[in-house]
Amino acid sequence: MSELTQELKAKIITQLNLEDLTVDDLDDHTPLFGDGLGLDSIDALELIVMLDKSYGIKLSDPKEGRKVFETVQTMADFIEANRK
Amino acid sequence: MDVPSHYIQSYCTIRDRSIALNGTTWLKMDSSTTLADFLKSAYRQLDIDYPKFHKMDGLCKAIFIATELMTRDSGPYPSDTALIFSNRSSSYLSDNKHALGIFNTENATASPATFVYTLPNIALGEISIRHQLHSENVFFIFDRYSPEFLVPYTQAALDDKKLANAISGWTEISGHTCDLLLYYIGKSGSVPHTVAQLKRIYNEHE
Amino acid sequence: MKTDVFISGDCIISPLGMGSKLNFEQLLTGETAIAPVDDATLADHRIHAARIADHQWIGKIRNASGYTRLETLFILAIQQLIDAHSIPVDRRTLVLLSTTKGNVSLLHNPEAQFPENRIYLAEMAHAIQHYFGFANAPITISNACISGALALSVARQLLQYSDTYDQALVVGGDEISKFIVSGFEAFQALSDGRCRPFDRDRNGLNLGEAIAAAYVTKKATDDAVRIKAAASFNDANHISGPSRTGEGLYRSIREAMQLAGEPMLDFISAHGTATVYNDEMEAIALHRAGLSDTPLHSLKAYYGHTLGASGLLETILGIHSLRANRLIPSLGFQHTGTSKPLNLITQPTERPLGTFLKTASGFGGCNIAMIFEKV
Repeated sequence: MSELTQELKAKIITQLNLEDLTVDDLDDHTPLFGDGLGLDSIDALELIVMLDKSYGIKLSDPKEGRKVFETVQTMADFIEANRK
Repeated sequence: MDVPSHYIQSYCTIRDRSIALNGTTWLKMDSSTTLADFLKSAYRQLDIDYPKFHKMDGLCKAIFIATELMTRDSGPYPSDTALIFSNRSSSYLSDNKHALGIFNTENATASPATFVYTLPNIALGEISIRHQLHSENVFFIFDRYSPEFLVPYTQAALDDKKLANAISGWTEISGHTCDLLLYYIGKSGSVPHTVAQLKRIYNEHE
Repeated sequence: MKTDVFISGDCIISPLGMGSKLNFEQLLTGETAIAPVDDATLADHRIHAARIADHQWIGKIRNASGYTRLETLFILAIQQLIDAHSIPVDRRTLVLLSTTKGNVSLLHNPEAQFPENRIYLAEMAHAIQHYFGFANAPITISNACISGALALSVARQLLQYSDTYDQALVVGGDEISKFIVSGFEAFQALSDGRCRPFDRDRNGLNLGEAIAAAYVTKKATDDAVRIKAAASFNDANHISGPSRTGEGLYRSIREAMQLAGEPMLDFISAHGTATVYNDEMEAIALHRAGLSDTPLHSLKAYYGHTLGASGLLETILGIHSLRANRLIPSLGFQHTGTSKPLNLITQPTERPLGTFLKTASGFGGCNIAMIFEKV
């Protein structure tokens, strides 16, 4: 499990161009949006593309996305439960 | 001679790997530096904390840096500062990236973060957010730097809304080259907002 | 002393046909251009879009093989206007093109028939200049989805405040390509059926293609419409997400209304793309401006979102609505679906019309409001 969270952190940082962050700066439970990491709606769409390309999971309901992308941990849980 | 109504208060040029503010070099790097590394170095030299910078494409980054430098010289831009920009290649850097992604035969991908930058006026949005400008924006495409059109249009736009300020200029970024002149126009100064002056300023940066 | 500026002629090429009067009449009968499209060169699955049929137009100009599909459509529309109004092609005529992406379909496209340098908008402008022998190189405006309306506003400013030009040809157009479809899809912005502007069940937009052209003059013809006022403000909030407060659009509307002398509006031609957030933003801005009760339509369920043409296309149809004293219904609307209710036009009502407001908003946080009135 923690392997997946580490992998996700690295992907999030490169995919979303979070230049000033490293994997160690990112806690499993830091909120990705809002007051946490401060990601925005384009980042959310980019994460949807990432889920599809890297894990073969299609997410078409943006409301679902809000829950899935709450933290690195919730993302990892979702991937574990849904990947083929 | 008519007294000019508007003046150039500050201007910034970026030509290949050097940046000058009001004709004085601010950053110069080796011509082998990639455009991306060059723009990142300029950002580091500005010494500000604006993580969104790293998400921008090359066009937005270059414009961001130039407007940042001019405001250091001339003070904060008033909220109604009009933005009147132009270039030849529109948003080519991002267009190219998006098209490469969707026509990739092995793994076709459309990235929202790339697609959003496939419009040149996104740069105007970025600096409006940064400097909180609620103002008129327009992005023109010309074959080449055209003060003959830009000056009378900018003057018409300023007169139309009785505005004191505008940022205007030429922002050509394509592949590895960078040819940018942005200038901040106001009601006072020593350089009149004329075609002749804008040709002079454009040519002064070798 | 500033002169008044008028729209004295217009032309539309759309999937509903050529000619703005024909297009207007089609709308009153409820005709829509949006249909299911199964085309692997655009997407690997069905989309709903409004496409111009190639067989009607392509190849119908001189030296046809030298011009791209989009250039051909621009040329046909300009030719119509020049023929109808004997417009000179000399230095006194400003030619303004508006497009978001021009010939971008050629970029890295293995099926492209033209050299890739044709993607540069200045090259497209040259091709059009060369066809007609215009003395001035056309100027292109590429300002997202407000491009078409903004080009009209720029033409007005130049005719009003600069003595460089006597008249202007303003032409907006965009075509549907894989480039655009894939991008809007990545944004999850496309509707799975015909779009439903301002409706409770709206779930995205349809892409469309059209060319819209206007002849802008300092002298009014009998059926000309005056460009009364225009104002444009940026949201300064987000590069793609519509503002939650409708700030830029609200300011644009307020300033345009003030410049026009607070006229009574007979109707509003909204942007109304039918994405959840855009329509909500517009409803908030209109509510703040005190215009919730003014009859309003979006024409997106007839034409789809025609990007760089839309502001101009919808303005021209608004002008025909004024002339005919007939309100165009807002197709696709059934149930209020915005937090601030609007007064959607549901029937092609006949009543005296004199003034309307056109609005548009786009990526980059840009907004524009323009007011048009009968002469």
